[in-house]
Amino acid sequence: MPDTVKRLHTQAVTGQPDSRERARRRIRGLSLPLGFLVVLLLAWQFAPSLLSVPSYILPELSAVLTALTDPDALPRYLYNAGYTLFEAGVGLAIGASAGVVIGILLAEIKVLYNTFYPYIVAIQSIPKVALAPLFVIWFGFGIESKVVVVVLLTFFPVLVNTINGMRSVDPEQIDLFRVNGATVWQTRRKLMLPASLPYIFTGLEIAVVMAMLGAIVAEFVGAQNGLGVLILQAQFQMQTAAVFALLIILSTIGISLNLLVRLVRRKVVFWMPTK
Amino acid sequence: MTRETMPAGSSAQAASAPRIDIRGLDKTFDTKSGQVHALSDVNLSIEDGEFVAIVGPSGCGKTTLLRILAGLETATDGQIVLSSSREAQVGMVFQRSVLLPWRTVLDNVLLPIELSHKPSAADRQSAVELLALVGLQDFVKKYPNELSGGMQQRVAICRALIHDPEVLLMDEPFGALDAMSRDALNLETNRIWRETGKTALLITHSIPEAVFLSQRVIVMGPRPGRVLDIIEIPFGTDRRLELLSTPEFAQLTGRIRKYFEKEEQADA
Repeated sequence: MPDTVKRLHTQAVTGQPDSRERARRRIRGLSLPLGFLVVLLLAWQFAPSLLSVPSYILPELSAVLTALTDPDALPRYLYNAGYTLFEAGVGLAIGASAGVVIGILLAEIKVLYNTFYPYIVAIQSIPKVALAPLFVIWFGFGIESKVVVVVLLTFFPVLVNTINGMRSVDPEQIDLFRVNGATVWQTRRKLMLPASLPYIFTGLEIAVVMAMLGAIVAEFVGAQNGLGVLILQAQFQMQTAAVFALLIILSTIGISLNLLVRLVRRKVVFWMPTK
Repeated sequence: MTRETMPAGSSAQAASAPRIDIRGLDKTFDTKSGQVHALSDVNLSIEDGEFVAIVGPSGCGKTTLLRILAGLETATDGQIVLSSSREAQVGMVFQRSVLLPWRTVLDNVLLPIELSHKPSAADRQSAVELLALVGLQDFVKKYPNELSGGMQQRVAICRALIHDPEVLLMDEPFGALDAMSRDALNLETNRIWRETGKTALLITHSIPEAVFLSQRVIVMGPRPGRVLDIIEIPFGTDRRLELLSTPEFAQLTGRIRKYFEKEEQADA
């Protein structure tokens, strides 16, 4: 009871629930999805044998975990995961920076916008991964063709969101800068760019998913290293447990990258409430 | 049209010349549905240190007039003379606070300074003093989304005053606020005007607000936007809320309201 009183008191003073209360609420919010995960994992472990599903169709969870932690395979998995991550990272860095820079140029220079925007919209609706075989012909089986596919896939979402951000700046904010005699560059740097940041981050969130997708698909098409190659090898040898183990690694990378972008977003675009 | 700055004191007449002199101002907009005559032959002079309010129904060109004064629009014809001794001529308060959400309250107030030079310690000091003048001394380091609508508009007023402009332009600054915040901000606007001695021009569609704050009310009518009447408000400079319930106040607001009743009848 005294504890409750004290907590109520701190709430009244700060106007916010204290950190312990917040943590408790967070745990309560997580309990349902975590419970579902436990049920799912149990089903994965026991359903295959109960329903006599052969292990090459669906290996039970323990077999997948054994494959994942196999001391002979794990270093190879991690090395190739690093390889794929490197391709995705380099491609994302190039694609996203190009998307921001070219997006700003297109939004600011009317002639460029009018000339290229229809094509950008058209290219948006093309499934660009279909170009991966062409890039392997042009740039070979090495890292270059993967990076090019990732650049292509990450460039467009960042580009389109940057353009939208630049074009949706509040006209009254622009008036404010004009009344105060701001130069074009001051308006760009102190208004347009920060105002576009929430949009740019939306583009980045999509681009991160696209980066991993592009790297893996390009590896499927033709490569010597990477998680995509390992998945294909495991498939050829009907090692379904190994395929699942690789998918777990891939998912972990994908989720971590998404969390990383969201964390950076919350730090950079701190004034926007997160969904 | 000309929008010129006359250096004060450069001629013999300058001392007695009005702060703002508008002569034969005309503005037409080309829209898809043809030409719109927003302002027709507007003549107006505003003395140094005077508080003038412009009231009128929407479409009477009052916002256009203010935007021309602020340099955001150019007039089609006519002349505006702003006599000023310095570069910093106008500060503007918009309908919405238009604060930048990524800047603290202090940095929002300092924005006009930052656009001309790097803010000095003295600039910071005067920003803090301005914020204290509107009762926001404890919110200097906060971000706009931590403030109420009324507080945000107070910050916007400080921002309009930070570069010590000679003319303060306000475009329906309290229209979006609830009645209580509006009364509070009207009182504060009156106090700020008295303490700073600025020439102030307020656009509003609230007749009581115009009468409460100003020394002269310009009544404008639509199609084309023009000045219908100029009404002297004879209450001293120090205005209190009690004024709102005096018969003199009611008589003045009633007199102004008559113009708009006529307009409505003409519309019907």
